[in-house]
Amino acid sequence: MTTTYGATSSTPATRRTMSGTGSTPRIARTKILLLGQRRSGKTSINEVLFNALPPKQTFYLEATMRVVKHAYDSVIPLEIWDCPGNITVDTLGAPLSQFSALIFVIDIRDLYKQPISKLVEFIIAASHSNPQLHVEVFVHKAEKLQEDDKIENFRQIQERVQDHLMERECEQMPYNFHLTSVYDHTLHEAFSKVLHKLIHSLPFLEDLLNVFCANSQSPKAFLFDAASRLYVATDASPVDSATHNLCCDYLSMLNAFGPLYRSTTSSDARLRIPAAEPSPDNRSPAETKDRFYPSAAASLHPSAPGTTLTYHLITPHLALLALVPTGVWEGRRGLLEYNVVFFREGVQEICAVEREARGG
Amino acid sequence: MGASGSGKTSMRSLIFSNNPASLTARLGATIDVEQNHVRFLGDLILNLWDCGGQDAFMDSYLTTQRSTIFQHVGVLIYVFDVESAEMHKDLEYFRDCLDGLRAFSPEAGVFLLVHKMDLVRDRGATFERKKKELQEHGDKGLVPGQPATSLTVFGTSIYDESLYRAWSSIVHTLIPNAAVLSKHLSIFAEACSATEVVLFERTTFLVIATSAPPPAAAALEATRYERTSELIKAFKHSCSRVREEFHALEMELPEFSAVLDEMTKNTYVLIIVHDPTIETAALKLNIRMARRKFEELQGLT
Repeated sequence: MTTTYGATSSTPATRRTMSGTGSTPRIARTKILLLGQRRSGKTSINEVLFNALPPKQTFYLEATMRVVKHAYDSVIPLEIWDCPGNITVDTLGAPLSQFSALIFVIDIRDLYKQPISKLVEFIIAASHSNPQLHVEVFVHKAEKLQEDDKIENFRQIQERVQDHLMERECEQMPYNFHLTSVYDHTLHEAFSKVLHKLIHSLPFLEDLLNVFCANSQSPKAFLFDAASRLYVATDASPVDSATHNLCCDYLSMLNAFGPLYRSTTSSDARLRIPAAEPSPDNRSPAETKDRFYPSAAASLHPSAPGTTLTYHLITPHLALLALVPTGVWEGRRGLLEYNVVFFREGVQEICAVEREARGG
Repeated sequence: MGASGSGKTSMRSLIFSNNPASLTARLGATIDVEQNHVRFLGDLILNLWDCGGQDAFMDSYLTTQRSTIFQHVGVLIYVFDVESAEMHKDLEYFRDCLDGLRAFSPEAGVFLLVHKMDLVRDRGATFERKKKELQEHGDKGLVPGQPATSLTVFGTSIYDESLYRAWSSIVHTLIPNAAVLSKHLSIFAEACSATEVVLFERTTFLVIATSAPPPAAAALEATRYERTSELIKAFKHSCSRVREEFHALEMELPEFSAVLDEMTKNTYVLIIVHDPTIETAALKLNIRMARRKFEELQGLT
């Protein structure tokens, strides 16, 4: 699906924050459309996830006046189109068939007709031009309401969208609802689920995680995008939010620690990190071994039968977070790290294939 | 002490009860004085008096309860709301409290916290203005010939590390052997080839002592101690939500290697190493070896 896209957009006038795509125009990026009413929180979502903006600061963001395309490199190269509130299918400047996912943001307090009829317009347009489009509705700013009202509004919005689509006789288009807020982990979880649908290599990544978990006695492991804290893949055991949240918080702590004790004089010797874009020819396992990959471990219980939360960087963007019994971590760390190396080689190979397919 | 709603109980719950900033909205008004005994570093017990700030209480502190409130005070922490609508009244109460303190506990240290700094946009300038105003005011009530009380002013907010910075400085003045601890931490740092070693109190994660600062050429981020306290406290809270208890942390990051582990039963130690050849396992071994010495220094054996 992704390979049929035009390599770059034909509207250079609207480009503003094209840091990544400017330098590598040949890569076919997976495009995500971010839509919603004015002040529903589209830019906040984008900034909190991909520019590490503290949620409290989103209050000061200014209104988006035209389409801003934000390039982000993760397991797959993404391009997020942050649209102003008044955009329609016709003024978008690109056919819906170009996009892989559409995220529609609705303020949870906004139960009235406007956002819903707009969402319905887009769903109907998509059902004509791109029936494979993943339509995801983020019922956003959930933190503004009490628990009961939250569930009630969430239900009402779903119901109304359904009714409208029934009226217009458009029921074959699948869509999902997520309850989100920038102030907790719900946004990360929801966006991760959207991301999973766009990663074609997901089954292979999951297989690798399953093998890793089975061989390391790990009850749960996540492959995270380190900077955005979205999880790219996880093993077959069910995801429980509490564990996901803990891993998310752990990652944000580690991300914050790095710059805190950076020394200007002595870091050169340490910096043996892999180059940002390794070329396909140094893919062989022998060459990846001598590189430095950051790692960390936090033990969560003072005595032996506790859990240790491990962190290993896998590629420049991805990190493996795993819950491991403390006994295994302390007693058989070498074996565990061997498993990590094995896992890393697998993931790097998958990423290299992905890059090749996209013409990078 | 401080006016009603200035944030006294909020900061107490954040520092001493491991509650996150987002939950402080649930706290009710403090009635009269809430006393708390906080065991800090084993034998040092902090007796926190959280004084309700409503006018009726304030008036009674300054009249009938004057001798009870102001006797045997180690430090007075006076909290000002940066956006207070009644700054004039706040300052009047503050001056009266200062008079009371001078009469009953002339030796006490005085710390002024300009709180809720997250609400103002231009933090630097606002803080300087408030600081000047407060210091001028503190000297006003002085009887000629009386020595001026030295006032330390901090701008704080429960939403960032500034609160930890203020509280670390406050408890630092109360720790009797801080200099000795620092000296031994420097020796320990040298033994580990570490750039820096920091000792934290276990429950509050306030900084107790650090090794000698690294040479100026290798200068590190100035707010690193407070930020570390804040990060670890936040992570501890995340752990408690899944009914786990944070215990130790080791990191090998591109920038540095570090081990954070229990030193004695009421302290944690953080070792920061920039030398790429030092392994974290070696640091952990060193901590184990040093444990007894530091227990001795704290008089725990």
